[in-house]
Amino acid sequence: MATYYDIPVGAQHISLLEPLHFKLTTENEKIVDVEANVGYVHRGIEKACTTKFKFRQVSFVIGRICGLCSISHTTAYSQVAEKLLNLEIPLRAKYLRILVLELDRIHSHMLCLSHVAENSGFEALFMRTMKDREISMELLEAVCGNRVQYDYSIVGGVARDLRPEVAQMILTRLKELRPKIDDLIDIFQNNWSLSLKNKGIGAISFEDAMRLNAVGPLARAAGVPVDVRNDTEDLLPWKQVGFEMVLENGGDVHARNMVRLRELLVSMKIIENVIQGLPEGPIVAETKALPEGEAVVRLEAPRGELFHYAKGNKTQYLERLKVKAPTFSNIPAFVEMFKGNEYASAPAIIASYDPCLSCTAR
Amino acid sequence: MKRIDLPLDKVVEEIGKFYRYDEHHFIVINAVDLGDAIEVQWFFSNYVAPGEVTMFAAKADASQLIPSITRVVPSAWVAEAELVDLMGINIENAKKGFVLEEDFEGAPLRKK
Repeated sequence: MATYYDIPVGAQHISLLEPLHFKLTTENEKIVDVEANVGYVHRGIEKACTTKFKFRQVSFVIGRICGLCSISHTTAYSQVAEKLLNLEIPLRAKYLRILVLELDRIHSHMLCLSHVAENSGFEALFMRTMKDREISMELLEAVCGNRVQYDYSIVGGVARDLRPEVAQMILTRLKELRPKIDDLIDIFQNNWSLSLKNKGIGAISFEDAMRLNAVGPLARAAGVPVDVRNDTEDLLPWKQVGFEMVLENGGDVHARNMVRLRELLVSMKIIENVIQGLPEGPIVAETKALPEGEAVVRLEAPRGELFHYAKGNKTQYLERLKVKAPTFSNIPAFVEMFKGNEYASAPAIIASYDPCLSCTAR
Repeated sequence: MKRIDLPLDKVVEEIGKFYRYDEHHFIVINAVDLGDAIEVQWFFSNYVAPGEVTMFAAKADASQLIPSITRVVPSAWVAEAELVDLMGINIENAKKGFVLEEDFEGAPLRKK
């Protein structure tokens, strides 16, 4: 007769960067069931955005949901507010939003990759990836003035223009980053010890990823063609700047690594195209209108589909603001990913999921 | 966004007729406190028609039992659990304590 053990992982655990808790039920070393609890860091941000702050101030508050992908939240919120205001923003502002979204994706993907390496026991690769990631952090600081919490997208456009010397700096530093990414791809693809921890581990099938409505790199690693950048040309000109969807088929930790690595190359190409094709013109559209009606926006954050719903009532304060983070959507798929794997694989699986609880619990 | 208003008792049936997991992507469930009622909203996007978002909406009394759509959309359990905690509504088979502590009293997103 099988013996089952319940092993708690989190809310504070050496392999977890985020405050979430799993109860892993194991049969000897094999995980057979999982319970997840994400209820540790609810901060009442949605409520604050409808009671404490006027709708123009909300784009600064909403960025505080997350340090890693604050540009995704501020951009999605700005877009949904612009829909309520019936406001079209200048093309230059759209290009600049894409620039920062893609720089942010580079730093976020590299952070995830470094933690997968760390949780797979490859400390040197963790440090190397974090060191290479520093280039994207420096570029974000040069463009936005901050390494995190950029406050770059605002209702009507963006907060800062791109100076020519910063544009040149971005192109130069990306050239410096490119061979480093190629080296990382080679290591993540071919390193034997890493392959033992990543290949065939934490796999989810195409069928399960579809059935459980997975999003982001987790879904694309299982071959599900879901990337909101493909669906939202009306909001940002993704195809004009060279967006291409990256898909893998394995659905395991390795496939998720490869999706993120290949997406780094796509992001770098998009950034170069943005800078080379940056249109002249203003960066903000002004309006004195007040938000009215209801609207939704989907945006591809580094972890997948970010969703904002807003309802306005023609006052300075919104009636309702709802934020759905990609990590939240991926919880059902994530729970399935654990099952059938050895307990020792749990840290690498968790890191490859790239959870963000400050987004999820808000 | 395409909006479909429904009576509460038709929600599961109509979403069941609409939803195909290889065609539609379930996004989330939202709720809005209208003062005298709660409006519950179920959001879906479409893999076949990119950019299209469909919202099913139904009004309910705050104390009314909201039917669960997990029998047609299995992954909806997280969104239902979140609403139980934050909006203080009752959803069939959804427990408290997923986003907030189990013994937390009140519903942060309700107006009163």
